[in-house]
Amino acid sequence: MADKLSDITPDEQNLIDWLADMQEEEAVALAMKMLLEEKKDPIRVLEVCRAAMDIVGQRFAEGEYFLPELVLAGEMLESISAVAKPIIKETQGDQEQSKLGKVLIGTVHGDLHDIGKNIVSFMLDINGYNVRDIGVDVAVQTFIDEINDFQPDVVGLSGFLTLAFDSMKETVEGIAAAGLRDKFKIMIGGGQIDDNVLKYTGADAYGVNAVEAIALCNKWLGVEA
Amino acid sequence: MSQTNGFDGLKIIGDRINPGFKSTKALMDANDMEGIQALAVKQVEAGAEYLDITVGRRAKEDPKFLIDVIKAVQEVVAVPLCMDEPEVPLQRVMLEAYDQDKAGGQLPLVNSVVEPRYAMMQLYKEVRPFKVILLTSERVEDGVNKTNRSADEVISTAKRVTRRMQDEYGVPLNDIFIDVQVVAVCSDSYGQHRAAHAAVQAIHTDPEMQGVHMMGGLTNVGQMLPPKAVDGSDLKLCLENVFLTRVVPHGFDYVLATPWRQFSPIPADHYVSQVYDEFLQATGTDALRKARKFYKAGL
Repeated sequence: MADKLSDITPDEQNLIDWLADMQEEEAVALAMKMLLEEKKDPIRVLEVCRAAMDIVGQRFAEGEYFLPELVLAGEMLESISAVAKPIIKETQGDQEQSKLGKVLIGTVHGDLHDIGKNIVSFMLDINGYNVRDIGVDVAVQTFIDEINDFQPDVVGLSGFLTLAFDSMKETVEGIAAAGLRDKFKIMIGGGQIDDNVLKYTGADAYGVNAVEAIALCNKWLGVEA
Repeated sequence: MSQTNGFDGLKIIGDRINPGFKSTKALMDANDMEGIQALAVKQVEAGAEYLDITVGRRAKEDPKFLIDVIKAVQEVVAVPLCMDEPEVPLQRVMLEAYDQDKAGGQLPLVNSVVEPRYAMMQLYKEVRPFKVILLTSERVEDGVNKTNRSADEVISTAKRVTRRMQDEYGVPLNDIFIDVQVVAVCSDSYGQHRAAHAAVQAIHTDPEMQGVHMMGGLTNVGQMLPPKAVDGSDLKLCLENVFLTRVVPHGFDYVLATPWRQFSPIPADHYVSQVYDEFLQATGTDALRKARKFYKAGL
């Protein structure tokens, strides 16, 4: 949250404002200047970005922003973190990976939609989660193999088509049959999910947007928002 | 008897008998057959040429309810029904329940066949002939299901499956309804709107496809966008009308929609129409930047 950041410099405030107001060129140029010319701490720059993203999420929740703004904000942050992350890795090795928790996410089999999933992946990442995104049309067995390899705290199943509800149910059942159901929480998300679908699939919770996905992970992992 | 929409040659498949509408769900939850019948009559009075029928997930657990709804609707209206069910066993139940005589001898319309679910066509021989909606959103390539995004993919899928329906089942071309999927403007980062327009135009002029109908559902178009455009107009309705204004002259002759929706052509100099033109030229996140112009002043 923005209030967690202390001693915000005028440049940082500009970055927050420009990101939140969708002034893409100005925001990305300023972030690049901070990272590459002024050699600012890249973790700090990403925290500033995260504060801006909170504002975007809030505006979305309040009906001032819509899906295009979420996607565009995601794109701005992606270009900034593409520069910031290698610097972090260079200076701190893999320490950055010790994040809030691990989230495995994928679009269930039979469904190829990825926009919503990509936004959720990115938002979780930028909010401090270690995210493994395993793509679209993911078979049940692939989920199980990836879960065994990654040992996530949360598994996210995404799907836009109504046919995806059956795939989600099969995936949750497959995970249970593999004896893994109680090792993590399962959240679902996508275009038309509601309480009935949640019940049908047997997942733990659903979110209608990226902001809710983050709130769920924060709640389950005891992270203060 | 029927109220007409503002487009010459555009016909409506009434979409209200679907629990996706809260008011319809309440009727279905209460087993209110009279209410469902009233909804059927209201749609036909508003000009629906077909009525789409789906009871959602309940069909699986309670197929008798599906049959009851079909029979109840056919008691009060004489238009053919559009059987909206992706699973073969339930589609079979619907086709068996359909009374062709009550629809003035007209065939039912199956919603829908998609190349990965082509097995649905077996019902044509096993149960009864029908008209069919061919969804062009997916194809089968080397045994793998793939999403169609480009106009070429949509066109080739439409032609291939149409030919197969003709060859294997003798389905007449004018019994085939090509559904060009119309995605939400704000999730269109692959140029699918551009592809839909190109596909409609190509199919319309293709000598092999003369006689097929073209259609789509438009409720998705304005999804996740605000209700009002910059100029104060109803953004969702305007987007639907802008789309129809461009495709109806090219043979797009059916829309799955609420019959009392105010469909009418939109002039090219209308704000939403002009922004839509810019949106059509853009791809990826640039398309979303253009989409913001629909509702954000000063961009």
